[in-house]
Amino acid sequence: MSVDDQPGLYVESTIIMTTVRVVAPFVLTFALFIMFHGADSPGGGFQGGVIAGSVVMMLAFAYGIESTRQWLDVRVVVALAAGGVLTFASIGLGTIVLGGQFLQYTEYEVFLSHASKYGIELVELGIGGIVASVAIGLFFLLAAGFGHVVDEEGEA
Amino acid sequence: MTPVEWGIVALALLGAFFGGVAAMGIFRLPDVYTRAHAASKSDTLGAVLTVGAAALALQSGISTAKAVFLLVFMFLTNPTAAHAIARAAQDQGIEPWTLDDEEGET
Repeated sequence: MSVDDQPGLYVESTIIMTTVRVVAPFVLTFALFIMFHGADSPGGGFQGGVIAGSVVMMLAFAYGIESTRQWLDVRVVVALAAGGVLTFASIGLGTIVLGGQFLQYTEYEVFLSHASKYGIELVELGIGGIVASVAIGLFFLLAAGFGHVVDEEGEA
Repeated sequence: MTPVEWGIVALALLGAFFGGVAAMGIFRLPDVYTRAHAASKSDTLGAVLTVGAAALALQSGISTAKAVFLLVFMFLTNPTAAHAIARAAQDQGIEPWTLDDEEGET
């Protein structure tokens, strides 16, 4: 694509690839851990989302930005962001439909117990998806440089 | 003070010392390679020793386990990051500093 004509094509490093391969699953687990613990301890969707997005950046550093861009379709990133917004909005507005305030999780007690806990976790997951995908999208846009023609990247 | 407390203090002081060495290296050394060298080695050691002190001080199952995880991943990722930075610098064609350009850029 656009970076291919630049001098000094990216050569993979065994050290970085091995480390990333070992560390990436742990980082993704840690991101989910942070997201789920946002309700009762430091952390939350924003921090966890950034960590989840950094997994993709790590992969890009190890395997080359262009190959990561081809591996991770832009539509996936955009869908993740849109899905996060939809999750947040539907949970928030659902309580209004049930007759409460915006994000008044206790309205869901009719369907399941510990409703506010699950509500908060779902909203954190949604925020995490938004933050992760926006971070990934911004990273790809920045990595593309100034000479890049913005074609279908309407994300971020 | 118990021996464990002495150990905690010793680890924390050693960690602070190596952190100081790393900061000094980043300030005083001339170019990106030597700075990466200072930052990766002594900074990793300083951080790991300090986290080790924290792990000893917490002494309660899950927190200590978390600190040990942090320690292990620091040992893994910090040198790799320094390696990536040095590789990128080499890729960009930055010449390593030698005695010849003593009066050159800082």
